[in-house]
This record gives sequence, C-alpha cells and structure tokens, in this order.
Amino acid sequence: MKLFAYLLSAFLFFTGACHALQTPTDQRSQPPQAAPAGQLLLKKAVMCQRVENLTPISPGAVFSVSSGQVCCYTSFDPVPRHTVVYHRWYHRDELSTQTRLRLYPKKWSTYSVIQLRETDKGPWRVEVVDQNGHVFDVLRFSITD
Amino acid sequence: MGGLLTFISTIRWQDIVDVLINSYILLRVYILFQGTNAFRVLVGVTSLWLAQELAASLGLILTSWAIRGITAAAAIIIIVVFRNEIRSVLQVRNIKTFLWGFPAREQRTPVDIITDSVFQMAQKRIGALLVFPGNQALGEVVHGGIPWNGQVSNEMLLSIFWPKGPVHDGAAIVRGEQIVEVGALLPLTHRQDLPSEYGTRHRAAAGLAEAADALVVVVSEERGKVSVAKGRDLTPVADGQELSQAIKRHLNMPEISPVHQRKRERLKFASAGFVSFLIISGIWLGFTRGQDTIIALNVPIEYVHRPASYDILDTSVDEARLQLFGSSALIRSIGPEQVAVRIDLSKATEGRNAFAITQDDVILPPGISLNRIKPSTLEVTLDIPTTRQIPVQVDWTSRLPKDMDLTDVSLSPTSVSVTGGSTTLAKVDTIYTCPVRLDSLPKSGRTTAEIVLSPPSLKLSPSSTGLVTIHYRLVKSRTPQHQ
Repeated sequence: MKLFAYLLSAFLFFTGACHALQTPTDQRSQPPQAAPAGQLLLKKAVMCQRVENLTPISPGAVFSVSSGQVCCYTSFDPVPRHTVVYHRWYHRDELSTQTRLRLYPKKWSTYSVIQLRETDKGPWRVEVVDQNGHVFDVLRFSITD
Repeated sequence: MGGLLTFISTIRWQDIVDVLINSYILLRVYILFQGTNAFRVLVGVTSLWLAQELAASLGLILTSWAIRGITAAAAIIIIVVFRNEIRSVLQVRNIKTFLWGFPAREQRTPVDIITDSVFQMAQKRIGALLVFPGNQALGEVVHGGIPWNGQVSNEMLLSIFWPKGPVHDGAAIVRGEQIVEVGALLPLTHRQDLPSEYGTRHRAAAGLAEAADALVVVVSEERGKVSVAKGRDLTPVADGQELSQAIKRHLNMPEISPVHQRKRERLKFASAGFVSFLIISGIWLGFTRGQDTIIALNVPIEYVHRPASYDILDTSVDEARLQLFGSSALIRSIGPEQVAVRIDLSKATEGRNAFAITQDDVILPPGISLNRIKPSTLEVTLDIPTTRQIPVQVDWTSRLPKDMDLTDVSLSPTSVSVTGGSTTLAKVDTIYTCPVRLDSLPKSGRTTAEIVLSPPSLKLSPSSTGLVTIHYRLVKSRTPQHQ
C-alpha cells in the first residue's frame, strides 16, 4: 500500500507562478553524492517539463518557451527529520525566484515549477540548497524558442 | 607702474630662458647668413609676412590672401634657389662656428689688395702705373684706354702689368673696387727737376698728377721702387702701410685700425643680438600674453601609478572636459597629445576611491591656462586580481527539431579557470558558451563551442582553453511539444 500526500504551494515571484509539490516516494535512484548515515541525502534531481504521479515527464536540458512551464524535481532519501530545502532559480546568474519546500521523514519527493514567458529565454540553473546554504546539486538547462 | 610690476611678476624663469634661447638662435642665423643673398631674400620674406599680418589686422582680405600666397611661394623659392648657398653655410663650417663662433670674415679692401699687389710687382721688378681719379674728369688728359671693368684682384693686376702683356705699358685706372680701363696713355711732364733715374713711367705719373687731381702710383721696373704722384709731388713710398695711407687719404677713406675694426664688429653683433632679443620678445608677448581665445576639449583620463596588487575595476568617467584659454596662435596649435589628465592612483586602496581633478592633474602646453574642468571629481574602483574555477554552461538557442528532446548534456571541460578582479569574479557563477543553435544538431553526438567571458575584464587562465566540447543526446519526445 502506498501512501501519498500532496502539498501544493504556489509562489509568485519575478518570473511568474511557481509551484511546489511535496510527496513521499519509493522511487529509487542513485544518490548524486554519498552522505553519512542520518544525514539528509538528495537521491535524484532532474529538470522536466512536468510531473505526473510523482514522476518527472520529459526530462531534458532544453525546454521550449512554448511549453509554458518547467519543473525542477528532487527526491530525498533518507530524510532524518522534518526540514526544508530551497530551489533557487537563476536566469543568467541573476536570482529569479526561490521556492521553499518542506521535507518529511523518511523520504520525500518534491518539485518546484515556473511559468515561462518570452523574456525567460536563455540559460538557467537551479540550485538545490538546505536552510544552512549547503548546495546539494546544481541543475543547468536552457529555455529556447 | 603697478601694471608693469604685475606683468613682471607673472614672468616665469622658463619664459626668460625661452626668449633667450630663441634670441640666440635668431642671432646665429644672422651671423651665419649675413652677407649672403639668401639672407637678403629672407629679410624680404619676413617683411612680406609682417605686411600680411598687418593687412589681415586691417581687414584687407584680398591683400592679406595675396601676400600670404606670395610669402609661401617665396619661402619655397628661397630653399630651391639658394640651396647651394644654404648648404655651404650649414656644411662647411665646423660645429663651433655653427653654434657659437663668430666667423672671421675677410676684411681685405681693394686698397689692401692694390697695396699688396703693387709691392709684389715691385719685388718682381714689374713696372706698373695705377691711376686713382679725383673729382676731375680724366677724359681730356688720358687717352687710348681700353675698357676693362674688372673687379680689383691681385691676379688681375699682375696679369695686366705682366711685361709680355699687350697693355702692360699703359696705366690702369681704378675707380672704387673696379679697374675701369687699362693701357691708358698719360701725359708726360715737362719738368726738368725730376731725378735722372726717373724714366718715362715716372714722367707720365707726374704729368697726370700735374694735369688733374688724380693720384698715380708708379712702380719702377728698373729699381723695383714704388712712388706716388699727387699734384706736383712725386714721393717714394717705403712700405705698404704708407702706400695704403696715401691712397686712403686721396680717396677720403677713414683710417680704421684692426682693433677699431674688431670693436665695430662686436658692436655690430651686440646690436644684432639686441634686435634679435626685441623681435623674439615681441613674438613671445604676442604668443603668450594674448589671452583672447577659449576652447573646450574632451580629454581621455589616464590613470597612472596604480598599485601593482590592484586592478581597475571601474571608473565613473573616462574623459574630462577642459576649458582652456590662451592666445589664439597657441590655442590653434594645440595637439591632442599635448593635453592630458593624469590621475595618480598611488594612494588608492581596494574598493571605491574618490578623487578631485585639480590643476596639478592636468598637463598643458606652455602658455595655455586651465579655466574649468568637468567633472571636478571622479571615482575609481580598484580590485585585487584573483583566479577562480567557474562552471561552464551551454547557451542553447533556436528551436529543437520537432518531437525531439535534448538530454544528457555533458561538457569537457566542465569548468574553466578564470582570472579577474575578486569583486567581479564574486558575481560570476557561470561562464557561458557562445550561442549554440539547436536546429543545427542532426543527431546525438558532440560539438564544440567557444567560451564567452563577460564582463570583458575577465580572462581565461593560461591552463584553460577557450573551447568546450559538448556531448549531447537527442531522443524522441514522449510528449508532443506545444508549438
């Protein structure tokens, strides 16, 4: 039996609407980095066009502005205690928006999303950081025609 | 009186040196070229230039224009026509003569030449008769003369009275610096009281001296003696000085001793020096004291003496607008390289530094004064150069092929070593490639792209290349793209 909990947060920042969805997941993937036992670990981080049923759809490095949105999907395992992480979205080294996402034990998947406009074309990166500023991963992609 | 004192107080030592140097140059030009035709024409050209300036100041447009053209042409003509004369003045003399020597000019007058020649002929026992006319015309008493009109010279006189020459028996008539006639027949005297050793030549000399107010110099062929006939006197002459005095007395020429001659030369050069000083002072006054023109110049600002450990990150201004004033001649001659604004950064520290642009920071040619500077202050931001390893990201552009996704992009190298100001580098988290077109990617594979450094003050470290290899994978899209 699978238990899912959804939490939708909507944030409106510089570029438009930004959504975060938090959910426990059994999705298994190779962690991007090794961590000591009892420490929060990022198992998977990917840019995708959308998230359906806790699964990132159409992952990639380039997204068309005509697709309307782009998501940053992250999955943490283990999550030792209730905590928060941030998805910081940068457009050409300028912080565009930041999403605060809650994590709950034992494992948790969550994502943030931005709505795309014509002015958003260009190179982007998303930094996944904890509340102490530790960077788990940096995801790089581009918004094109 | 007060105005004069104020004027004197504004004169700098550089101005005095300036005037003295140029006065000396003008004096040297006079000393080197005096007496030459080029110098006379140069004086004429200078007069033309003055006339042109006068015409221009009076508003005579056509006259001024015409004289200016003539002056320009004359200046070229001087160089072309008198090139040999100019070359001889500039080449033949040694450096001492050229810079500070006073050339010892040949001061031999025709009288000196004649005196020397007469005693040379006496020594060689060559008979000669030289007539120096007075006020009376000699046409009635002298006959058979052949027009000669030659400049008096030693060689000329010796050849005229050479015993085998066709005219050696006659007399040579000398007027001024020229021998005007040769082979002239003089009337013989009828006096009986002449010494018996005097022959026909002496009698002819005495005869003309009696008939006119001329002075006749006679050289005895047999005895090699020189005599002078004047009036009823026929007097032997012992040496050249006595003969020279006799001739000069007859010609009413002033007696000038060598010492007196040197004094006259010195006085002449001193006068020339004074006139040179007056001319140059006048020009200097015209150039430097006529504060009648104001101009504004935009001058690039130079930042100098930057501490070696810092880089200039930013400056608030790159050029200053200077308002300058001075005489119109000097203002017109200002070149861009003569004016500069230099800010001394030797005392600047890391971060933002404010400087006031003062008169000391502005370099101007002599005679030009600063009226105003804009802006009066500026800011310079200094930074410590450092090196950082910065990730590289591809700047994708255009549109992916239809129903295709770009996945698994990896770069080699993933980061590059970049050098720049620490403050600048702190703001740079990503180095981007030049735009890479997606529509030119046919299938999965790899491509290369150049790195673009922004801001331009950043530089790649020697260990990093400017090219990045991009490995990518194109896959069929699982969801149709919105178009």
